[in-house]
Amino acid sequence: MKRLLVTLALGLFLMPGAHAAGFEARAVTPAPILNARDLGGTSRSLADYRGKVVLLNFWASWCPPCLREMPSMERLRVKMAGRPLEIVALASAEGPNDVKGFLSKMKLSFPILLDADGSNTKRWKVFALPTSFLLDAKGQVRYVLTGPTEWDEGEALKIIESMLEESPVLPK
Amino acid sequence: MHFYRFLILILAVAATSARAELPDYQAFPAQGTQLLLWVSSERGRAEPEVQAAQKLAAHGVEVWSLDPLSAYFLPQLPRSMDAISQQDMADWLRSALAGGKQVSVLAVSRAAVPVLRAAASLDPAQRRQLGVVLMYPNLYTVAEPLAAPDYLDLGQLKGLRVRILQPRRSAATPWLPGLVDHLKVYGATVDPVILENLREGYWARETPTEFEIAEGHRMDGLLLRELKALGRK
Repeated sequence: MKRLLVTLALGLFLMPGAHAAGFEARAVTPAPILNARDLGGTSRSLADYRGKVVLLNFWASWCPPCLREMPSMERLRVKMAGRPLEIVALASAEGPNDVKGFLSKMKLSFPILLDADGSNTKRWKVFALPTSFLLDAKGQVRYVLTGPTEWDEGEALKIIESMLEESPVLPK
Repeated sequence: MHFYRFLILILAVAATSARAELPDYQAFPAQGTQLLLWVSSERGRAEPEVQAAQKLAAHGVEVWSLDPLSAYFLPQLPRSMDAISQQDMADWLRSALAGGKQVSVLAVSRAAVPVLRAAASLDPAQRRQLGVVLMYPNLYTVAEPLAAPDYLDLGQLKGLRVRILQPRRSAATPWLPGLVDHLKVYGATVDPVILENLREGYWARETPTEFEIAEGHRMDGLLLRELKALGRK
């Protein structure tokens, strides 16, 4: 009897928390520092992408939801060719061998960065994978998404389009 | 809305005033001197866990296997674990200790919360008799991107020996040092161990690697080593 009562009471509390997560708009704040190397060993930071909208994706090669969304990120790259959008995928707490092993199976043309010691993962306070951040052209975090999505359609595409529209047109 | 609040109040009062009960568990009896209380994660008790419990019993380690969310008819959500009766769990631990065997507890994922809270409510002498193995424990209250992690209050853990088994391939691995510090603040003695090339719940994944399948079949060996590391003979 006790367990039934507990179940009923708790069910009322717990069920509203079961909804799926979506994009979370954030108050405009400067992004944490990004300091990582690409697969060629070149040091990268957000300054390299200043003036562009940035989709920064934290992922891992062992994470099935991460791998599921990657083809849509590649399609997004193709769809947005020539526009000020940079897609950057940062492999969280993984060494280059695991990442290169994965990339030998899936062809991706956007930059992949390494975070072998997890220091960027900790600075950005990433607790689940995939986690993605959308940064505006000034390098400010505007949206956060925990979990995978189809990046080249629906809400994701709409948000990216709206951010591109507000981006300043930089002189060539 | 008032009706729901009233209903919740009535149910909560009725539930807390009811007498404590021991949770329903599955026993794997053995004649040895060790007893392992295996508390499954919010995902429930998987078949490889049953097989490992059977193998441990064959090695002389008695196992009491508890699937807490099933026992309490709760939704399979991490937050449901926070609602498990601390009194019931503490009574379960006391009942295990009363049998005279060396008692260890394995708690998987969010099951660490009811186990640690129950351990905190034991007498210090009882707590010192326990050894706890936490498999990728989830003790967050809040873990949101761009915000510092916040951990649950656990209560007094002085004298409790804790070993943490953390699969390398987990988003929680970079956060392990903070988790260890948090447990130490409450007085526990903590030893973390990284499980290389494994993911959380590797014994019951939808798409396991060959290594994960093999390690899933060797869980009894892993746990025997952990019991030894806790000083169990």
